[in-house]
Amino acid sequence: MYITQKHISRRTVLKGVGVTMALPFLEAMVPARATFAQARGKVRLAAIEMVHGSAGSTAFGIKNNLWAPAAVGREFDLSPGSLAPLEPFRNDITIVSNTDVRNAEAFTAPEIGGDHFRSSAVFLTQMHPKQTQGSDVLVGTSLDQYYAQRFGQTTAIPSMQLCIENVDQAGGCSYGYSCTYTDSISWAAPDRPLPMIRDPRTVFDQLFGVGATPAERQERRTEDKSILDWLGTAVTRLNKNLGAADRARLADYLEDVREIERRIQQVEAAHSKGEQRELPGAPVGVPDSFEQHVKLMFDLQALAFASDTTRVFAFKMGRDASNRVYPDSGYKAAFHSASHHQDRDERITDFAKINKYHISMIPYFLEKLKNTPDGDSNLLNNTLIVYGSPMGNSNVHNHKRCPLFLAGHAGGALKGGVHHKAAAGTPMANVMLSVAHLLGMDDFKSFGDSTSAYDLNTVPATTAAAE
Amino acid sequence: MLKRFVVAGVLALPFVVAAQQSPASAAASSAASARQAPVAKPVASHAPASTTMLPVEQTALVKQYCAGCHSERGKAGGLSLAAFDATTLEDHGETTEKMIRKLRAGMMPPSGARRPEPAVLTGLAAAFEGRMDKAAALKPNPGSRPFQRLNRAEYANAVKDLLNVDVDVTTYLPPDTIGHGFDNVADAQTFSPTLMDGYLRAASQISRLAVGDRQATATSTTFKIARAASQMRRVDGAPMGTRGGTSVVHTFPADGHYVFKTSLHYEPLGGLAGRNTMTAYGLTEQVEISVNGERVALFDLNTRMSETDPKNSLELTTPPVHIKAGPQRVTAAFIQRLDGPVDDLLMPIENTLADVSITFGITMLPHLRDFVVQGPLDVTGVSDTPSRLKVFSCRPTNAAEEESCAAEIVNKLAAQAFRGAPTAADLQDAIKFYEQGRKKGGFEPGIRLAVQSILMSPRFLFRLEEQPAGIRTATYRIADEDLASRLSFFLWGTAPDAELVRAAAIGSLRTSAGVEKQVRRMLADQRAEALSTRFGSQWLRLQDLDKIFPDYLLYPQYDDTLARAMKRETELFFDSIVREDRKVTELLTADYTFVNERLARHYGIPNVMGSAFQRVALPPYRRGLLGQGSILTLTSVADRTSPVQRGKWVMEVLLASPPPPPPPNVPSLDVVKANEGGKLLSTRERMEEHRKNPACTSCHKVIDPLGLALENFDVTGAWRIKDNEVPVDVVGELYDGTKMDGPSGLRDALLKHSNVFLTGFTESLMTYALGRRIEHTDMPAIRTIVRDAGKSNNRMSAFVMGVVNSPAFKMGMADVAKQRRATDVVR
Repeated sequence: MYITQKHISRRTVLKGVGVTMALPFLEAMVPARATFAQARGKVRLAAIEMVHGSAGSTAFGIKNNLWAPAAVGREFDLSPGSLAPLEPFRNDITIVSNTDVRNAEAFTAPEIGGDHFRSSAVFLTQMHPKQTQGSDVLVGTSLDQYYAQRFGQTTAIPSMQLCIENVDQAGGCSYGYSCTYTDSISWAAPDRPLPMIRDPRTVFDQLFGVGATPAERQERRTEDKSILDWLGTAVTRLNKNLGAADRARLADYLEDVREIERRIQQVEAAHSKGEQRELPGAPVGVPDSFEQHVKLMFDLQALAFASDTTRVFAFKMGRDASNRVYPDSGYKAAFHSASHHQDRDERITDFAKINKYHISMIPYFLEKLKNTPDGDSNLLNNTLIVYGSPMGNSNVHNHKRCPLFLAGHAGGALKGGVHHKAAAGTPMANVMLSVAHLLGMDDFKSFGDSTSAYDLNTVPATTAAAE
Repeated sequence: MLKRFVVAGVLALPFVVAAQQSPASAAASSAASARQAPVAKPVASHAPASTTMLPVEQTALVKQYCAGCHSERGKAGGLSLAAFDATTLEDHGETTEKMIRKLRAGMMPPSGARRPEPAVLTGLAAAFEGRMDKAAALKPNPGSRPFQRLNRAEYANAVKDLLNVDVDVTTYLPPDTIGHGFDNVADAQTFSPTLMDGYLRAASQISRLAVGDRQATATSTTFKIARAASQMRRVDGAPMGTRGGTSVVHTFPADGHYVFKTSLHYEPLGGLAGRNTMTAYGLTEQVEISVNGERVALFDLNTRMSETDPKNSLELTTPPVHIKAGPQRVTAAFIQRLDGPVDDLLMPIENTLADVSITFGITMLPHLRDFVVQGPLDVTGVSDTPSRLKVFSCRPTNAAEEESCAAEIVNKLAAQAFRGAPTAADLQDAIKFYEQGRKKGGFEPGIRLAVQSILMSPRFLFRLEEQPAGIRTATYRIADEDLASRLSFFLWGTAPDAELVRAAAIGSLRTSAGVEKQVRRMLADQRAEALSTRFGSQWLRLQDLDKIFPDYLLYPQYDDTLARAMKRETELFFDSIVREDRKVTELLTADYTFVNERLARHYGIPNVMGSAFQRVALPPYRRGLLGQGSILTLTSVADRTSPVQRGKWVMEVLLASPPPPPPPNVPSLDVVKANEGGKLLSTRERMEEHRKNPACTSCHKVIDPLGLALENFDVTGAWRIKDNEVPVDVVGELYDGTKMDGPSGLRDALLKHSNVFLTGFTESLMTYALGRRIEHTDMPAIRTIVRDAGKSNNRMSAFVMGVVNSPAFKMGMADVAKQRRATDVVR
């Protein structure tokens, strides 16, 4: 299904080194006929984490609506704040402001100050990480993994984990926290953090196979197919003189051979039906520019969703205490220093520019999903995106009034186009619990420190949000 | 006291009594031995020399001393001996072997409980052993397992042997499950589509690297530099005059242009101390990229570089550099501008990035964080690489020669890959793939596809052992070819070489002299270091060292470089026992070890310079494995030693008697405060607080003294006399009551049970050699190995030969339509 090729010449690759490398393949990747029957009703999940909270979580930011709009309900105005870039998709988003991530707070004296190194692990688990630098890390199973473990097993890849910033898993991070808490938002079990992949090429290879061009991937697929074909006969030949236990083992092995064959056949069958999907030339490595890198990762997610290669992504767009500069944001201070704005109004306003810049990446993804047919609908309708940060006011490292919004309609389960302002002290976990319900895990009674599910579909009366 | 003597005397009647026993019982027993001698005359050739007691007496002993706790109601340790009847020992092999183990270790009856004279207990153990061994001799059971597949290490080694190409298999194959301590246990080797997919990707990529890839397109490979890797000294492989960074051998798929990138951690100065070299002394730090020792780029660092400045960032990128295909050593490192890196008044610590937590950006020295090789941006050709020289044993000069040359190449590679003669069908299949590839791209692509198919063949990936046709007996001798593979994977961790294959082919592995000749040759070969790096390393659990990261504020001298030196020390030490064919007990007692400058300084050993390891003599307290940093660190936690972990390690690894798991809901030691009413507490004192809970005491009084004897070694294995300002107390009692004082005392106490240690060692060696769990039915064979090795002064080679000559190693069990194993159906 991935063939019709758009070959990127070696010259382009050469030029691309150290420069930018966009993958403008959106139009071309839309299938000729959209009949992804097998994917119908299966909601895709993209859980995106940004670090360092938001300018809108400060007193000044709340007053000036730097994150949460002034009005709840449908008639919200995004223009004053960081969420302004989402205006074209206002009917597709569900903003839940004013929730707290209490499990990211310090519980004991030695934990005080370690917020940067513990928060990320809390975002999708809403559990409190055990302070340790050893291998005995412990937090909770993350939402994306609950979903992948329950529903992701029918796709080729149950879930994938992506990140933008360099990770450093060796040894401990600061304040006695293992770096895995800082580096991974995705936990297959309370003690099993999943590594996040930074290199788009690795993501690409895992999703679509090795090769820089469609022709090359096709060639490798053909080779693999002929080898898999042959393995059947080769194993049968061997079987004759082996014991029963060994024969049973080889039978299992042949099942795996057939499973891989089936995957290749799926790809080829879609191809022969004319459901051609164009893949760009495989990315070389990590682009230098934040924007290029993020967009490339969104391209890959959209493509994986469209081809139903996987239905679950966890995407970590930042890393705590990173001093990356976002020159295109209009504010040139380093991210971490900017987040410590000393509660000065003008610096908070500047910090909001960085938040806004991060949000400005999202419409690219939403648009791509909206333009991709999926079943009788489109991918945006069948996807649920969670975007948020487990920190609130980064200047004081608190975890109150944290940024959070949902996008997409979870296959129709989420209406969207609404701003909820949670009652003071509402755990973000309440929203996560509702997200679990939206994803079909309606047997979840609680999640992390949740107190109840959050009603996301009832539109609150359109009034100015009282403060 | 008197009563106890009387009981012992009566019960000891039938024994041949050791000299130190009381004269009364000695006299009685000599009389008795005449009476019962015919009963227990050992039949099996390997049965113990001593005579044994009557079953009825064995039963009486067990009833008297064991069944009190091991009762129907008490079931101590989950075992009831209420119905014990020594006449049916053989029918309860598993229980009997458990009893033997506890008796031999001196763990039962527990200290403090009523127990007979030691000689009575050893006599009982010997009697049990004699019975079990005799039964085994009459009905040998070599055991069985499903076939093994190549694990990561074996796959990489086999590929290296076959194609002369180094591959990082971790990119392709999922991690190996460790079962029963080792990564090659067949039952733990599951299959999955992920594995299958990994094999496919590996075969495809490796065949391209081996033959050279004219279609290669740009990809990037990132080598991470551990944050805790010291940047103070030259790393192995880097050019002289450099410090820090990394040096790796990277296999380039084709001739062409490549770009190298490296980036700095946080900032360019090494803020806390290194800053001075750049600012005060007016020196410029430089980073050099070199290929095979030749400089291809040199970067001057400047003080204004910053991760927040895209135009003067911390990432250094070379222009495209032309590089030839094949393995080339590439290095990114700093130029060493000063001997002393920093200010003399400030004692520099080796962990050059230890202080990262004080605030970001402060480092002792500038630090490289990763090294990226990107390319090829274009392909200019494929030069002859070591792997091409190996693969292309002939080169057709015209089309007519292609077919025969292809046949020659395929024949050679298949024979080596399949560890024995390929069948006609095997060759035909590979040739078919050659033809498929040739049609598309010509001779070389044809060979490449044939190589890919060989790497995917079940005969390469799996160590299949065929049953001889038409066997009638329950057990059979495995095929010579399969024996050669077993020997090779056991001793070398890779496929057999040509000589071993030939020895198998001409039948010389059928005689024990022929086998011994090969084993001696193999042990002398360089590849036998796999016994140390694969077997020894896993037996001692050195892989756990990667999981421990001592608190950098308490142990700033610890970093990744030191950890690797510790691991290497233990590997070299184990290797020396193999190479020099020393006594296995020297693992506990040897008065030497191997250190480099860094480790020597850590141990306080003077006059060792440079990064190369050298043999040094040791003071008594540091002798043997129990004085090695690797083991002492991997049994610690970040901010304190863990006598429990150390004790548990000793019990599990050295005594092969794992303690039972702790009951649930036990508060951890960390809950016990490090000070009490203003008084600082040592780890020992905190443990004693913790142990006041009676539910814990019964096990911990066995485990803890073993670890407490090592309290003179801190978290990183450095010598200390105080812990948390409290003088350390290393006096304790072994579970059998032996007094121990410090590491030497622990060692002596363990040597009293050297038979237990050697038995445990042999069990592990067998597990690794066979790729399966050791069952109770294997114990007679293991006892034979230990006994025979004792006659050869417990030399390492005697244990290796013992394993190789054991029925389990040489024999197979005829197929009795078996149930599928649990691991096969889980999915």
